[in-house]
Amino acid sequence: MASALEQFVNNVRTLSAQGNFRELCEFLTKSTEVLMKNGQHLDNVLETLDLQQHSLGVLAVLCVKFSLPAAAATPDHHELLFAQAQEFITGCNGEQVRFAPDTYAELCHLLTHSLAELKVPLRGIDLIRQAIRKIQLFDSQLTSIHADLCQLCLLAKCFKPALVFLNTDITSISQEGGQFDTKYFLLYYYYGGMIYAALKNYDRALYFFEVAITTPALAVSHIMLEAYKKYILVSLILHGKIQNVPKYTSQVVGRFIKPLSQPYHDLATAYCSNNPDELRTVVNKYHDTFVRESNMGLVKQVLASLYKKNIQRLTKTFLTLSLSDVASRVQLSGPSDAEKYILNMIEDGEIFATINQKDGMVIFHDDPEKYNSPVMLRQLEEEMAVCTDLDRKMQSMEEEIMVNPQYVKKSCGAPDDDLPPAPSQGSKITTYSM
Amino acid sequence: MALFVCLLKLEKLDTDLKNYKSNSIKESIRRGHDDLGDHYLDCGDLSNALKCYSRARDYCTSGKHVVNMCLNVIKVSVYLQNWSHVLSYVSKAEATPDFSELHAKDSNQTIQTRLKCAAGLAELATKKYKSAAKHFLVANFDHCDFPELLSPSNVAMYGGLCALATFDRHELQKNVIFSSSFKLFLELEPQLRDIIFKFYESKYASCLKLLDEIKDNLLLDMYIAPHVNALYAQIRNRALIQYFSPYLSADMRKMADAFNTTVLALEDELMQLILDGQIQARIDSHNKILYAKEVDQRSTTFEKSLAVGREYQRRTRMLILRAAMLKHQIHVKGSMDLSCS
Repeated sequence: MASALEQFVNNVRTLSAQGNFRELCEFLTKSTEVLMKNGQHLDNVLETLDLQQHSLGVLAVLCVKFSLPAAAATPDHHELLFAQAQEFITGCNGEQVRFAPDTYAELCHLLTHSLAELKVPLRGIDLIRQAIRKIQLFDSQLTSIHADLCQLCLLAKCFKPALVFLNTDITSISQEGGQFDTKYFLLYYYYGGMIYAALKNYDRALYFFEVAITTPALAVSHIMLEAYKKYILVSLILHGKIQNVPKYTSQVVGRFIKPLSQPYHDLATAYCSNNPDELRTVVNKYHDTFVRESNMGLVKQVLASLYKKNIQRLTKTFLTLSLSDVASRVQLSGPSDAEKYILNMIEDGEIFATINQKDGMVIFHDDPEKYNSPVMLRQLEEEMAVCTDLDRKMQSMEEEIMVNPQYVKKSCGAPDDDLPPAPSQGSKITTYSM
Repeated sequence: MALFVCLLKLEKLDTDLKNYKSNSIKESIRRGHDDLGDHYLDCGDLSNALKCYSRARDYCTSGKHVVNMCLNVIKVSVYLQNWSHVLSYVSKAEATPDFSELHAKDSNQTIQTRLKCAAGLAELATKKYKSAAKHFLVANFDHCDFPELLSPSNVAMYGGLCALATFDRHELQKNVIFSSSFKLFLELEPQLRDIIFKFYESKYASCLKLLDEIKDNLLLDMYIAPHVNALYAQIRNRALIQYFSPYLSADMRKMADAFNTTVLALEDELMQLILDGQIQARIDSHNKILYAKEVDQRSTTFEKSLAVGREYQRRTRMLILRAAMLKHQIHVKGSMDLSCS
C-alpha cells in the first residue's frame, strides 16, 4: 500500500520539476482513489511535498483529506486540517494552482462547509478572502469562492469583509474546470443581496436579487425562488411596489416562480392599498410562511416602510399638520408614535420637516438642496465620470465583438449561406411549378 | 295561444326563407333573414335575432342594405349589452361607401344620429366618458326619434353629465353651451341646463346641490345608473380644480362653504387630488389655507438628471455582467440539483 503512495509522491515530484503541470493535473484527478484508500497516511505524504514547488500535489491531498468520511473526525483533526489549509492558501504557488482552479475552489467549498458545520464561520473569513485574491486574475473577476465568503460572512453576521468584493462590479467570470457552476453564481448574488439587505443598502440589494432572478434558466432553481421572494420584499421597501422584472428574464420566473410566491404577491397588493391594517392582516395570515422562509425580518421592515411612505405622502400634500393628525392619517397609535417616526425620518434625511413641540405641529419643508454648492457640483462630475467610464467600457466591448473572427464570419457570411447555389435554385423552381 | 301563433309565424317565415333560398334571389333572402330576426326580437330571443340579422349581411346588395343590417345588429347588441360589437358595427356602418354620399338627405341624418347615440351608449358603458360626451353632442335633435334605444332627453342627460365630468372650461363653452343643436336637447332637461350654467358660472354650491337633487332619478336610469357615482365624483373634482386654478393661496373655510362640505372632508378630497397630481398645491392644515406649489425647474432638472444617470449606471452594469454571464454559459439547467444550503 505504501508503495502506491510512494509512487504518487515520486510522480508529483518529477512532473512538478519538469514543469509539466497539465499532465500533473490529469495524473492527480486519476489518483484521487488511491489517496482516498490511504487516508491515514496522508499527513506523511504532505510532509514529503514542498508547498511552493508541489502546490498542485498538496492541493490534491488536502482536498481528499477534507472529503474523507468525518467518522473519525475529532476537534484536533479539524484543527490540524484547518491549519494545513491555512498554510496552503497563504503559501501556495498561485501560478501553479491556476492550472487546477476547480480543485482549488473545491478545497475552499469544503473548508467553508466544515467551518459552517463546526459553527466557527468567523475563522474562515480572512482566509477565504486571501484565497480569492490569490486565484483572481483581476479584481472584478468572479470566482465560485466569492459565494463561500458571503456565506461565511452571513453566518458570522460580520458583513464588512465581504463588502470590498461585493462593491466591485463583476465584469468577468473565471473558468473553473471548463464550466463555472451556476449554483455558486446564484448563491453569490443571493447571499450578496442578503448582506446588502442586512446593511439596509436596499438599492444594491435589489440589484443583486435582480441579477439572481434574471439569470437564464430552463428549470426552477430554489436559490432563484428565494431570491425572487426577497426581491419582492426589498422592492416594496425601496419603491413601494414590485418593480417590473426586465424583459430578458427567463420565462421560468413568470410561469413557475411567481405562482410559488403567492403570499408575497398578496403582501404587495395589500401594500399598494396604503392601508397598514390591511397589510398587517396579510402579514398575520401568512405569518407561518414568512417565519418558515425566514423572511419575517424583511416583512417587518416592509410594514415599517409603509408608515414611512405614508408620512412621505403627507409631505407632498401638507405644509403644516398637527402630530395627532399625522397619527390618525397614517394610522399610528398616537402623537408620540408619530413624533418618533418623523424624528427618525428627519434624521435619516428621508423627509425635510421641523416639529414644533409647543403646539404639536409638524412643518414640512421642501428639499433644501439647491444644487449650487461645490460639493454638489463635485458629486455631479463624479457621477458623470462614472457614466462615461461605463460608456467607454461598453464601446470597447462592442469593438471586441466586432473584430471577433467568428462574428465577422457570421455577419459577412450569412447572406451567402442564405443563397442556395444556382442549380438547386433551379430545381426548386421546377418543383414549385410542378 | 300566443305561443302557438308565435310558433306558427316562425314556421311560416322559415319556409318562406327556404323558398327564397331555393330560388336564390338575394334580395328576398335578405328580407327573409330580416323578417325572421324581427320575429325573434319580438319573442325576446335576442341571440337568435342577432344571428339572423348578421346572416343577412351576405345578401346585402347596396350600401343602404349594409347600413340597415348594421342598425339591426346594433340594436340587438345594445339589448345584449355587447358594447364592443356595437362600436365595431357603428364604424362599419360609417365606413359604408354610399353612406357618406347620401349625407345631406334627411333619412341619413336620422341614421347618423342613431349611430352616434349607439356609440355614445357603448362608450358610456365602457367608462370612456369623454368620447361618450363627444358622440352624444353631435346628435341631431330633429332626427332623434328611436324610442327603442333612448329618448332625446336621455341624450341630453348623458351628454351633459359626461361633458361636465370630462370637458375643460373652454370645451364646455364651445361644445355644450354655445352648441345650437345641443341647446335644443338641453331644453328638454331644464334642471341639467341650470346645472351646466351654474358650473360654468363657477357657482359650485348651487350646482352641486342641483346635482344631488336629480341623483335619485338618475339612479333609476338603466344606462347611466352604474356610472352616476363616478361621474359625480369627477364633476366634483373638476369643480375643485377649477375653483383653485386662479389662486396662489385659498382659504379652505371659504372653499368648504362653496362646496357644501366641512373643512376636514375638503382636506381629504384635496389630499387625494394633490396625490393624483391634479392640483399642484399643498395644504397648511394649521391655518387651513391651500397654497399653490411653486416648482423650482432648476432643482427638478438636476434631480431628474441625477436619477437618469444612476439608472443608466445600473443598467449598464447589469448589461456588462450579463454579457459575461452569457459568455460563460451560466444558466440553470434542468437536471441540476440546486438545493439551498
